[in-house]
Amino acid sequence: MKKIVVRDLTKHFIRPDESRLDVIGGLGFEVEEGEFLSILGPSGCGKSTLLNILAGIEALSGGEILLNERPLLESEDGVRLGFVFQQPRLLNWRSIRENVKFPLEHGALSNEEQWHFAQRYLELVKLKGFEDYFPQQLSGGMQQRVAIARALAVEPDILLMDEPFSSLDEITARKMRAELIRIWQETKKTIIFVTHDISEAVYLSNRLLVVTERPTRVFDTVAIDVEYPRDYDDDRLFEMTKTVSRLFLKMEERHGNESG
Amino acid sequence: MHITLKIYSVLVLLLAWVVLSFVFSPQILPGPIPVFEAIWENLTSGDGFFHLYKTIFRVLLGLFLAMIIGSAFGIVMGISPKGEKFLESWVMVGLTIPAVVYAIITLLWFGLNDFAAVIAIGITAFPAVAINMWQGAKDIDMQLVTMAKAFQVPRRDLIRKVVLPQTVPYVLAAVRYALGISWKIATTVELIGMSSGVGYMLNYWFGLFSMTQVLAWALSFTIVLLGIEFLLINPFEKRITAWRVVVQV
Repeated sequence: MKKIVVRDLTKHFIRPDESRLDVIGGLGFEVEEGEFLSILGPSGCGKSTLLNILAGIEALSGGEILLNERPLLESEDGVRLGFVFQQPRLLNWRSIRENVKFPLEHGALSNEEQWHFAQRYLELVKLKGFEDYFPQQLSGGMQQRVAIARALAVEPDILLMDEPFSSLDEITARKMRAELIRIWQETKKTIIFVTHDISEAVYLSNRLLVVTERPTRVFDTVAIDVEYPRDYDDDRLFEMTKTVSRLFLKMEERHGNESG
Repeated sequence: MHITLKIYSVLVLLLAWVVLSFVFSPQILPGPIPVFEAIWENLTSGDGFFHLYKTIFRVLLGLFLAMIIGSAFGIVMGISPKGEKFLESWVMVGLTIPAVVYAIITLLWFGLNDFAAVIAIGITAFPAVAINMWQGAKDIDMQLVTMAKAFQVPRRDLIRKVVLPQTVPYVLAAVRYALGISWKIATTVELIGMSSGVGYMLNYWFGLFSMTQVLAWALSFTIVLLGIEFLLINPFEKRITAWRVVVQV
């Protein structure tokens, strides 16, 4: 079992005028292997920063991130991370297949295996037949599928997703969420999914973390015990969405009082 | 369609030249036929190629120098705000000083030789390179860089596969600008202080008041530059930016 433990994580930036901006203020949570965890918080809180820290793009200011009791990025077996951003972030001058292959080009795989993996995950996200297209020939939703295939192709231990569907129209986003659940069930990846969309978090996750505005802390944890695949019209999900919305309002009030 | 349009545009230009040459006397504007005859004569008589070669040699070396200095300046200015503040005025000053001043200074410093010519060309053309590379470095999409970092792409591959491809349009623009500038300053240097090259020949025929030969030499080098553009730069650009063309379909 690979278990991720985040303990007392803090992050601050120093502004150009040398004042200090606390972005994350002592965040702690655990993620079990194979779990779909959503981190739900208001726009502009430190959610994306948290993912960047998990991915090693940004340094943490304090606390620790452990995988099996060892610091995540120094773990001996070498942890592999897949990252899906809010924007597809594809290399426009490369074909779809070459884009998915891109993160594999720096590992131990032979060229043939790289093509094989790229193909396999393109098929998983249902883009068979589009391999030789260039990103700008595809719709936003399809581009985001490519980004998901790219993240999966590295066969990550953890898939980090930063509001990946927020720039899509609702119909496309719904299809993509259902797809993501299918892929998650097929691949059994651990997913950490950041969003500010309550119903999205409720629909997708096993468990969701409601986090506060800056400096980000965990306000509450909500388990969603509804079996997959889920239906958007499921009353239980609707009830959960209402519960979480109320939680959100309560948090806003309290946070407002604190800063006021 | 595209190619035929280009051919028409050249034909129209030639036609306009023919018409105008009937209006003016041959001393003022000779027609295309005597000019092309002169070019042919220059090239077949032996020293025509020598002078063309001398100028091309100086232009390419000077261009190379300009690309190196200009890229170094542009990249530093593009990625470092401090570097930008420090070097911006240098580039602006470099851009403002008339090319002929660089020509005179380098000829006085280094003597009437190829070295002086190459330095003059390099210094004159470098600000144009710097400005293009500066813009190119600024326009690098940092989101793609972050993406590559998230996938733990090694630094070398990050530069080669993510950063450099984004700068290609700017590098090509820099080469084009600098090539145009290099050729202009090359002829100026040759005119002032060299005893070979297209500029020297222009000066020579200017002394003999031969409009036909002046046009013949100017046209010879224009043809060379167009050759570089359509046989080297253009095909390279088409190959490396093929994805844009595909996308437009």
